[in-house]
Amino acid sequence: MRRREFLKTSAAAGLCLFADESLVVTSLAAEQSKDFHPNVFIRVTLDNQIEFWVTRCEMGQGVRTLLPVLLAEELFVDPRIVRLHQPATLPEFKNVRLRTSGSSSASTTWMPLRKAAATAREMLITAAARKWSADPKDCKAQDGSVLHVPSGRRLTYGSLASSAASLPVPKVVLLCSNDFRLIGGRHRRIDGAEYITGRATYGLDLRLPGMKYAVVAKPPCFGGTPKSWNADAAKKIPGVRDVVPVSAGYAAGVAVTADSVWTALRARDALQILWEKGSGETFTSDEHYQKLRATTAKQGFIVRHDGQPAPPSSDTFEAFYEWPYQVHAPLEPMNCTAHVQAGTCEIWAPTQAPEEAQKKAAKLLGLPEENVVVRVMVMGGGFGRRLFTDYVQEAVEIAKSVNYPVQLMWTREDDMRYGHFNPASFNRYVAKLGPNKRPVALLHRCATSDLSIYPPDTPPTAESYAEDWTPWGGYDNPYNFGELTVDYTSVASPVPTGPWRSVEYPGTVFGRECFLDELAHNASVDPIALRLELLRPSEVVALRDDLKLDRPRLQCVLQAARTVAGWDKPLPHIAGMRRGRGFACNIYHGETHMAQVAEVSVAQNGEFHVDRIVCIVDLGQPLNLLGIEGQIESAIAWGLGAVLKGGVRFEKGQSQLTNFVDASVLRIKDSTEVEVHVLPSAEPPSGLGEQPVPLVAPAVANALFAATGKRIRRLPIAAADLV
Amino acid sequence: MAITFTLNGKSQTLTDVSPDMPLLWVLRDVLNMTGTKFGCGMALCGACTVHINGEATRSCVTPVSSVQGKKVMTIEGLSEDGSHPVQKAWIEEDVPQCGYCQSGQIMSAVALLSKKPHPSDADIDDAMRGNICRCGTYQRIRKAIHRAAGDAAKA
Repeated sequence: MRRREFLKTSAAAGLCLFADESLVVTSLAAEQSKDFHPNVFIRVTLDNQIEFWVTRCEMGQGVRTLLPVLLAEELFVDPRIVRLHQPATLPEFKNVRLRTSGSSSASTTWMPLRKAAATAREMLITAAARKWSADPKDCKAQDGSVLHVPSGRRLTYGSLASSAASLPVPKVVLLCSNDFRLIGGRHRRIDGAEYITGRATYGLDLRLPGMKYAVVAKPPCFGGTPKSWNADAAKKIPGVRDVVPVSAGYAAGVAVTADSVWTALRARDALQILWEKGSGETFTSDEHYQKLRATTAKQGFIVRHDGQPAPPSSDTFEAFYEWPYQVHAPLEPMNCTAHVQAGTCEIWAPTQAPEEAQKKAAKLLGLPEENVVVRVMVMGGGFGRRLFTDYVQEAVEIAKSVNYPVQLMWTREDDMRYGHFNPASFNRYVAKLGPNKRPVALLHRCATSDLSIYPPDTPPTAESYAEDWTPWGGYDNPYNFGELTVDYTSVASPVPTGPWRSVEYPGTVFGRECFLDELAHNASVDPIALRLELLRPSEVVALRDDLKLDRPRLQCVLQAARTVAGWDKPLPHIAGMRRGRGFACNIYHGETHMAQVAEVSVAQNGEFHVDRIVCIVDLGQPLNLLGIEGQIESAIAWGLGAVLKGGVRFEKGQSQLTNFVDASVLRIKDSTEVEVHVLPSAEPPSGLGEQPVPLVAPAVANALFAATGKRIRRLPIAAADLV
Repeated sequence: MAITFTLNGKSQTLTDVSPDMPLLWVLRDVLNMTGTKFGCGMALCGACTVHINGEATRSCVTPVSSVQGKKVMTIEGLSEDGSHPVQKAWIEEDVPQCGYCQSGQIMSAVALLSKKPHPSDADIDDAMRGNICRCGTYQRIRKAIHRAAGDAAKA
């Protein structure tokens, strides 16, 4: 079980540990209906309907296509005609992971789902063979039926359901990859039609009898609380129901419920609230950034120190990179529907963390967990924001005080003010240079903030950070810099911080891959060539636990990148524009190996466009090539947003970014062409949703240097930086 | 005060809504037509795009009183079954990821194509600049618009 996607979790934090999902293949108690329901993932009904329970949360990454493809492969059915169920914290899923994080869905469901489906397949074949008094070896599964090959007789799965249901669970036989019909193919989204017709039911689209809508008036700064309020004017508005204080979420506030969102918003505006200013009210990001800068000049926790001790050298090379706070801002704002009745609670939540939502709601209500059901809605974007269940707890807290179902909605301003931001990450690199200006030592100092959504049980130590591979991109630096020292300090701030797509990697990979470019330029050597040198000795570096840095595998990615991106050929000339290429690469948690080559054009006035990004990836066994391309396009757009727009400033303890002003998000004209190359691999599948993000900023910054000679060390990048 | 308009080809009369209630909330919370989405409330993201007399319009800042006597079309009205050429192009190019922006994207694209049946990339940049996608499907949106225009070669 990979620990990384949980970060600093512990039993005390209330998050559950997951049993090995391959243990889930058990016979469920035979049901009266005699459907074939051999495990929690699959059901075959007597009328030949196949049903799958999708056990990861859909947020656009395509698990509602990917997981059915894995099941359908081994079960020999068409995934497009299967009825899909959304995840829910029902008793039968108690030992099945639903939490969707760490870009781990493919790698963690790859074996359990295939085993579950293969087992079901074998039971259906056995049932058919018995019916025919035939040898099971003469029978095979095909397109939702079992075929007796010698005679051509065929029985649908539905007709075999009740006899299969009474069979013992056999040993499983998995398909070998040569026999895959679906895995490795190009599959469009199975649920695509729902989105293009407006029929998909997101959290805000749920309608229940008697349901009311709620919004929460939130404090003007971090840590603020409502001291007193007057709801007289609010309650006079027709359609307004109740006014209820909330404190279960991240920020305390005052909720108002009404017959429509519009009425609730007007009522919220009419509330007169006296706020107790919070401890965070004086916080400004400018001051915080000065602190981060100063912190990188001091020693912090040394999380890694290894390699060949450096000879004395007076030739040093140093640079410093700044990654600002980032906001998630998925297009669907935070929302949740909850209904509390005597002794039970039902929750409909767009969430990536259903188990945590259930656990915390049960605790809030003083109920046993099995009396709380969380039904996962498809999400209008997750990106890590919906790993925090603060808005779920707010909805439950409001529902507890009223006697009707409540749909809580956050406005865009609420969402951008009370996000769980990606913390600013400042990274200083000091290299000692030896012969030919090659590095013989590197000190990497990272100053950022630990994620506030995972508070540690005990004060952190160098060892506890190293156990979590923190900082990602620093601790798992794959290069041979000679003597390597990686040093980490967390600087406290009142800004709530949480996992943002690729979490700790963006700031450190920006710094590391730009610094490599600077070292290469300083030594008059090609940036890819320098990296290949520094990936020697060509061996697998074993750091700790299961973290291995496979330098040969990364070298293959670099060699392929050089070829497919045409690195050694001149870029086509565009009149009046300076052009350049830039490179970046990374190994993500020792698994997905990736490189990107960015191509830019810069006008004389500094205005620039990223024309193309070529992405070369080794992610183990590819599962759905169309999905892979989609995830890479998506993650590159996410990373590009930070390069071109991005960054959140805080003043007086509040985010200064409150809506989608132009400077904050990528629009269609800013988007770039993406070309994807997937390298063949026999390794098990590894993750992809986050992996491309950290490479975009350094690849683009390096390309801009190649085009203009201007070195960029902070984001977002403006035309003025390139004049 | 009654407000009467045509909604997806059928006459609709509302008698108990505040005239300043935005059309978005009338659609979603009064008529329970949730295909049109809320993203920002300030006409900055395009998720709420509908057609009013054939023009792409942000319903979150459109008071319902202003649609008196007009023709309103939402995503639900484009087709019974996803068979509008733009919807089909969206499926062909596998555009949606989370899908939340796509109602608005499609409505904006349909309006563009009704005015410019063979839009250039610059036309697309301009007409679609008000529709945000956080999942980064912009390049596929562009390809799908060219496909729907019968200009797959431009994609």
